[in-house]
This record gives sequence, C-alpha cells and structure tokens, in this order.
Amino acid sequence: MHVLASFDWAVLWDNRGEFESGFWKTLEVSASAIAGAFVVGIVLGASRAHRLPVVSWLAAIYVEVIRNTPILVQAFFIFFGLPQITSLFFGTLTFKPILLSPFTAAWLTLVIWGGAFNTENFRAGFEAVPQRYREAGRALGFSRRATFLNITLPIGGRIALPSSINTCVSVLKNSALIGPAISFPELTEHAYSVETVTFRAPEVFFALAVIYLTVVWTLSALIRLLEARLALPEARRVRLRRQIRPGEAV
Amino acid sequence: MIDWPSWAGPVAHFILHTGLPLTAKIAAASVIASTVVGIVLGTLLTIDFLPSRALIRLYIEVWRGLPLIVTLFMTFFALPVTALHWRFSPWVAASIALTLWGSAQVAEATRGAVQSIPREQHEAAAALGFGWVGRHAFVILPQAFRRLLPPLVSLLVNVIQNTTIASLIGAIEVLGAAESQETRLAGPPPAGIVEIHAFEIYGGVMLLFFAISFPLTRLAGHLERRLL
Repeated sequence: MHVLASFDWAVLWDNRGEFESGFWKTLEVSASAIAGAFVVGIVLGASRAHRLPVVSWLAAIYVEVIRNTPILVQAFFIFFGLPQITSLFFGTLTFKPILLSPFTAAWLTLVIWGGAFNTENFRAGFEAVPQRYREAGRALGFSRRATFLNITLPIGGRIALPSSINTCVSVLKNSALIGPAISFPELTEHAYSVETVTFRAPEVFFALAVIYLTVVWTLSALIRLLEARLALPEARRVRLRRQIRPGEAV
Repeated sequence: MIDWPSWAGPVAHFILHTGLPLTAKIAAASVIASTVVGIVLGTLLTIDFLPSRALIRLYIEVWRGLPLIVTLFMTFFALPVTALHWRFSPWVAASIALTLWGSAQVAEATRGAVQSIPREQHEAAAALGFGWVGRHAFVILPQAFRRLLPPLVSLLVNVIQNTTIASLIGAIEVLGAAESQETRLAGPPPAGIVEIHAFEIYGGVMLLFFAISFPLTRLAGHLERRLL
C-alpha cells in the first residue's frame, strides 16, 4: 500500500478540469452511439429474425465482418480510409483530406460496432417470442407490421434488453480505445495528455481506473436489476450470457 | 490476374513478416498465461471460504470492468514510475494487460464449469483417497475442461483481436506495422511515394484478421453446440 501512500493527489485536483471535460465527452459519444446502435440493432435484428430476403443476408455478413475484426482496425479504416475513398470521387487526392471529425469517426465506429452486436441481441430476442403469439395477432386481424410493432417488438425487446445493455457497456468501454487511437479527446485521451504533461502516471491512471470502474459497475448493477425485473416466465432460455462472446469483450 | 501496384508488395511483406509474428507472440503468451491463471483462480473460487472468494471476485470484477486500454496504460506507463520500478517492453506490457483481462474471463468460466460437475464425482474421488488438489487436478478439472473449451476458443479470438491495442504503445504488431507503412507511403521519396493508401492497407488488415478470426468463431459456435 506504500504505492498509494506515495501518491501526489494534488496533481489530480489541479487537472480536474481535464478529467471533467473528458468524462462528459465520453458520455456524449457513448450515449449518442448507443442510441444509434439500438436503431441499427432493432431494424437489422428484425430483418434477421423475419428472414427478409437480401437485407437479412447483408445483415448477416455485416455482423460477421464486425465481430471478426478488431474495433481498433475498424476505427482506423473509418477515420483514415474513408476520407481517401471519398476524395477519389471528387477527383483530387489532397494530403490527408479530413472529411470526418474525430468525434464523427468515433461515433460512427461505435455505432457500427455496437449495431452489429445489437443485431444479434435483438435477433435472439425476437426469435424467442413464441410463434403462437404472432399467429394469435394475425388471427385477430393485425397486419404483419402491427403484429411486429405491438407483439414481437415489446416482448422480444424485453427479452433482448439485458444483453443489449451489456453491449452498451462495451460501447462505452470501447470509446476509451478509440480516443487515443484517433486523438479524439474523450476521458482516456484527456488522462493520457495530463500524464504527458505532469509525468504522474500512477495517480492519473489510478484515477482513470476508478472513474471507469464506478461507471461500469453501476451499469452492471443496473443490468442485474433489470434482468430480475424484466424476466418473462416463458423466456427463461434466453438468459443474459455472461460468457465470453467472440469479438465482444474489450 | 490482378495487377498489384508496386507499393503493395513491400507493405504486405512488412505486415506479414514483422507484424504478424509479434501479434502471434503476444496472443500466444496471453492465451497460455490467461488459461493457467484463470483455471487456478476459478477453481479456488469454488472453495467456500469468504476472504479468498472476495479477493478473487474483486480481481475478476476489476479486470473485466476496466477498458483494456486503461489496464495497458497502467502496466506500461504507471508501473515503471511506482516504487516497484517495473519496466516492460510494449509487447510484454500488452501481454500482461491481456492476461489480467483474459484470466478474469477464464476464472469466471471455470467456476461455472467446475460447479457443473456432480457432487458424486467429488465424493467418489475423495473415497479413493485423493486430497483436494489431486481431486481437482485428476478428476474434476479434466471433466470440466470439456465445458471450458468453447469459452477458451472465444477467448483466443478476443485476445487475437485485442493484440492490436499494443500498437497504441508502439509495438510493431500487425496494426502497428500497417500504420508505419501507411505513414511511410504518404511521406516524400525515397522512402515514400506521397500517396495515401489507408483504405487499401487498413482494409487488408481487416481481411487478415477476418481470415484468422472467422474459422475460430465458427469453431467456438460448433463446440458450444456439440459439448453442451
């Protein structure tokens, strides 16, 4: 414990503004990316569950590509690669044309990444809705659209919610990776720049770890609470998977 | 026959001959260390003794909860400055960070696998004269290992993908190698050609990871269906 005792806590207090603005940036990009990932996940998850031709196949390819490639490479591809291609269409290849701001690139990467895992979450949720519920809806004269909106979406969404919140936590943790990679000033990038100025790595990264653990543990507790509250008697078999899923954990 | 541009050959050569071996080295070290540490911790977690259980639980929750990059910055930047003065090269620091994270995942999976073995197996082994260590090493863990196989393959996939974080602290693994080549090509001659090829290079890196990762992901899914 003498490591902790030798800490110079004043360094953290002096740079609290950096941590604060980084924290809000992390929340901003994570929250907006989570919203986008939900939209992508629900739309593509529904198309997968209902086996819509073409869309469903494209969604399957998208999911496989995202979960079998590192998110860091995806971020590099989006931030450095996409401007190159877009500039080709305009006929001039200037030096490092920046068409995506770091925020947009980080947001886009997180939406694409989280959307892929949410597609799987919602597909599993929608498929877990018993077939007879849908048949009952159709028999009552609901259109296919109304059946989805009033029966499959509320029940399947409720089944998928715990695992999709799990994905949201991963989105937040992944923002820490993208920040230093493309110089997007979120929490980790701010902490890193504080470290390069003050040379007090132990204090800075200890504080950083405490902040992330507080957020992640709070969200995990929330998931467990939701899981208990939302559990449907008929849906026991789709439980939140705490096991390692390929590509998901960071 | 595709006519490859002249810059592509040296770039691919550097990524495959300098980058890929380091990625393999980090991944192999982390997976082996995570498996060993994780199985030991996970087995100890099944002992009904509160202090040891609380400690291992804390270890699991901390390393699973932290973003990997924070763990990496702690091992690479913070440890050399503390009273311990431990200093690691980038690939060692990355392996340590991945092992802390991976062993936490394996420990959690091992606990479940060990607890899924029926009581009778413990009792029968005890009746044959095995102590706690022998009982677990020769009777329980070999049976639990079947259930551990799918999560271990998933761990391998995740670890291979996450080796790319080592590029953020300067390791020349696959992504680090790709980044250095992309920067070189963008520079002036004689080294560079003042052209940006980020799209092709990072797209190629994505293909490379997909080719490694996709069969393993399918294997994990297959094992899960077969063994559970």
